Amino acid sequence: MSSNPQQAHHERAATKPRPVESVVGNTMQKVATAMIVLGAAEFVVALSRGASAIAWQAYLVNLLFFLGVAQGAVVASAAFYLTQAKWGGSTPYRLGEAFAPFLWVGFFLFFGLYFGRSEIFPWVTHPIPQKAAWLNVPFLFARDGIGLGVMAAVSFAFIRASRGDDARAWSIATDDIELPPPSIRRLAPLLAIVYAVVYSLIAFDLVMSLAPVWRSTLFGWFFFAGAFWSGLVAMVLVATVLRGRLGEHNLFTNPVVMHDYGKMVFAFSVFWVYLVFAQYIVIWYGDLPVETFFIVQRVHHMPWSPLSVACVVLIWLIPFVVLMSVRTKKTPAILGTVSALGLIGMWLERYVLVVPSLSLDAIPFGPTQFFISIGFLGAFLLSAVPGLNRVAQAATSGEPVGDDAE
Amino acid sequence: MAAAPKINTEPTFRDIDRSVLRVMEPAGLAYWAWIGFCFTLVGIGAAFWAHQIYAGLGVTGLRQPVMWAIYITNFVFWVGIAHSGTLISAILFLFRTKWRTAVYRAAETMTIFAVATAGLFPLIHLGRVWFFYWLLPYPNERYLQPDFRSPLVWDAFAVSTYLTTSALFWTMGLIPDIANAREAASGWRRKFYTVLAMGWQGTDRQWRHYSMAYLLLAGLATPLVLSVHSVVSWDFAMAQLPGWHSTIFAPYFVAGAIFSGVAMVVTLLIPMRRMLGIQDLLTEWHFDNLAKVILLTSLVVTYSYVTESFMTWYSGDPIEQMTFHMRYFGPWGPLFWMMVLCNCLIPLLLFSPRIRVNLVALWIISIFINIGMWLERFVIIAGSLRVNFEPSQWGTYHVTITEIMITVGAFAWFLGLFSLFSRFLPIISMTELKEGIVWLRKALKMDRVKAA
Amino acid sequence: MSAIAIVSSFADDAECAHAIEQLRVAQVGDFNTFSPIPSHRIEHAIGKKKSPVRWIVLAGGISGILTGLAITIGTTYEWRLNAGGKPLLSWPPFIIICFELMVLLGGISGFTSVLALARIPTAEIAPGYNGRFGEDRFGIVVHCDEEQAERIESMMKEAGAEEVVREGV
Repeated sequence: MSSNPQQAHHERAATKPRPVESVVGNTMQKVATAMIVLGAAEFVVALSRGASAIAWQAYLVNLLFFLGVAQGAVVASAAFYLTQAKWGGSTPYRLGEAFAPFLWVGFFLFFGLYFGRSEIFPWVTHPIPQKAAWLNVPFLFARDGIGLGVMAAVSFAFIRASRGDDARAWSIATDDIELPPPSIRRLAPLLAIVYAVVYSLIAFDLVMSLAPVWRSTLFGWFFFAGAFWSGLVAMVLVATVLRGRLGEHNLFTNPVVMHDYGKMVFAFSVFWVYLVFAQYIVIWYGDLPVETFFIVQRVHHMPWSPLSVACVVLIWLIPFVVLMSVRTKKTPAILGTVSALGLIGMWLERYVLVVPSLSLDAIPFGPTQFFISIGFLGAFLLSAVPGLNRVAQAATSGEPVGDDAE
Repeated sequence: MAAAPKINTEPTFRDIDRSVLRVMEPAGLAYWAWIGFCFTLVGIGAAFWAHQIYAGLGVTGLRQPVMWAIYITNFVFWVGIAHSGTLISAILFLFRTKWRTAVYRAAETMTIFAVATAGLFPLIHLGRVWFFYWLLPYPNERYLQPDFRSPLVWDAFAVSTYLTTSALFWTMGLIPDIANAREAASGWRRKFYTVLAMGWQGTDRQWRHYSMAYLLLAGLATPLVLSVHSVVSWDFAMAQLPGWHSTIFAPYFVAGAIFSGVAMVVTLLIPMRRMLGIQDLLTEWHFDNLAKVILLTSLVVTYSYVTESFMTWYSGDPIEQMTFHMRYFGPWGPLFWMMVLCNCLIPLLLFSPRIRVNLVALWIISIFINIGMWLERFVIIAGSLRVNFEPSQWGTYHVTITEIMITVGAFAWFLGLFSLFSRFLPIISMTELKEGIVWLRKALKMDRVKAA
Repeated sequence: MSAIAIVSSFADDAECAHAIEQLRVAQVGDFNTFSPIPSHRIEHAIGKKKSPVRWIVLAGGISGILTGLAITIGTTYEWRLNAGGKPLLSWPPFIIICFELMVLLGGISGFTSVLALARIPTAEIAPGYNGRFGEDRFGIVVHCDEEQAERIESMMKEAGAEEVVREGV
């Protein structure tokens, strides 16, 4: 059922494989290391200057964002196995797994929050007796620490299975309706379930508890759906960037495959805005002060209102309007730009969720936050290097892709 | 009915046509007796409704504070059932899911009739049914208009849009199949199908426009599915009532709808497969995948229950905590725990690949889920109203014979319509099954290998 | 006016698509195809422009949004009810109505445009149609004159036609 251009592409790719050893090489590692040093230095400087509050805010926002991207991408890989996706060969799986080493980095950095607990959690300095059984330092760090540890462990067990020969052979067997290998059949659902539980917990504990009076039952789902989207978008961004660097007939030059990536960015951005609306309309309609203040602070009052609007524009409006047409989804430059903007939007969203609870009347953003964010970005990029090389290898191996496209 | 034919693992287009069209041959006495039985029950239900219109809503058990109970439970239940049909036909189409083709027509049909059943209940719930048209926005001398800030009005728009769009999508998919049936039929049936097929001949012009419209309608139906049950859930979430006012309601209800709907699809398809002799088109592979959807949505529903309980405790709100305490441990507690058993625990059995393809076990599990999801709506709707806010406002609710017979009548209405359709119009999409014949053949071979 | 209709039937859509390509190369334009399932290969071989249904659906959707705005804003202004202190023109509920009407009018226009563009309902049976083209055969009906008939028949047979029948129109 494939149209002729796709078949021709297969043939070209199959006859000219380009084994690439280190696409993502030394330059990126050096730059990333420099970024980490910069970020760490700024953090220490800020702490010693007495600007510890903003330093810890930036730490938390970046931790949530980058952990979300890394974990969301792994969950995307699991989701592809669960839906038996073969439209991209083994490359989508490698893309999803590319950022995974950051999961351990994030796990250790999470415990770093302990040292800033009095700056981050209002209930540390002003304990709430009613909620003390849940909101207390030992229990929170224990449950979230164990959660993130289990999350990383399951993710790596899953990734090990996914990189095995069985799984790879399965992902390029485009004519088959056989299920993935047994290890994947066990680990992919487990990963998805653990993700929903752990990241809901993270959302409740590390974001919602910063405004301890507020609650929203949808908040956990909203948070991990956003993290999932950010993972997907990061994967797509990598795909569009690598496209130009992997030689002539790599998989990312196949417009049908890029179309599928574009569809997913589109669809899950709509899902995200649906969850935003679902929370907004219930809280708006009920008009209960204990619920409304959180939204009003962020959406209706200055100085946060423009940032909230910017989030919706970057995460939903731009992808929705720009990626509606088939042609734009197949154009890597456009898809890549939309993805980059989406990632910025998601970072901003984490910022808008966390910071107003800690600093309501002013938007704290200056060199401190900037450099700390750069530091986290550097750590993220450095940990992604081996994974990205694997992606490059998969994309240039000339594998067949699923014939059911279009 | 037809005994299971020896299963052919390499069906051709012609084999598919034959299997599906064979179902449409004139039926026997047993079938008509079943139809008669269904519509007798419908008649009884209608009689009770007529009595209710005459005597007023007092013949129901509705008393303050429980003014929404069985009828609204039925409404939400049937709208929920409807959603899985559109999930399978539209959303899985966009995902290019391969197992969808054999089941989607039956699921879509279920959607149409489920929405038709659901749509009865707001009318049944009106005291003065003959004034129903006052709900529509039209210029009138009373200077009254529907209040668009009310979730009930959103509901009217959402459900009507859903009924219309699903019907159009279903009809469009039927046209090529009916053309097929037309060719194979004779006599009055041929004339009937000729009119319905509208002259479809499968020319390139026709297929070109059809394919694009199908894709677009699927694309429109997908957000529609999300929106309709979200709007229905907002009938409750917009209130400030503890137990109702919860942000998670929208996606939770959508997941629950798909859960109950796919369970109902399984409830219908397993007996149908045997009675209509279509074992060579509906394979274990199809049921395995349906069971996985059921399992996934069951886990989402469980997540929602747990999150709601946690948040109630975390909020420290005494009134909300009392509502949930009564839900778990009050006089209606057994209903709640039955619901947890049916919706959260029993579906866990579907983690076992063997159970997923054991059609008897799967059917029994689906019945439990139908019961559990009906109970869930009742527990949320009537249960929260019963213990709202202060104890001085608490009341109770006793179901009456009118409500029971109308509920039974509604089930019979749905089953009767579905059964009628399944004999007179193609219950499996021949066109789409042919498009995916490669996968069907593989699935049949897989079954053979497992059974051997 | 062509006097002859040559009806060829194929068992496989790839062969049918190949035959169509041959026809186009030979610049024979007056033909019609029948198929039991929609086939990308055949659609690609015929090479007509994409269906305008998508623009009609877009127009329908936009008109749905506008209708929604009109109804909600219009009725709210006619009866200015204070509903729980909510603003008269509250966008969250109005968005829901606009969305539903967008889907409704988009869907209806999609459906009706298919009927109109595919020219159904119709009582006219295209020449050369027979029931097997709905069951399992792909068909091409070429309208031509006596002189070209031989050439076209052999073209079809070469492309893999199972059956080639000449009918007077």
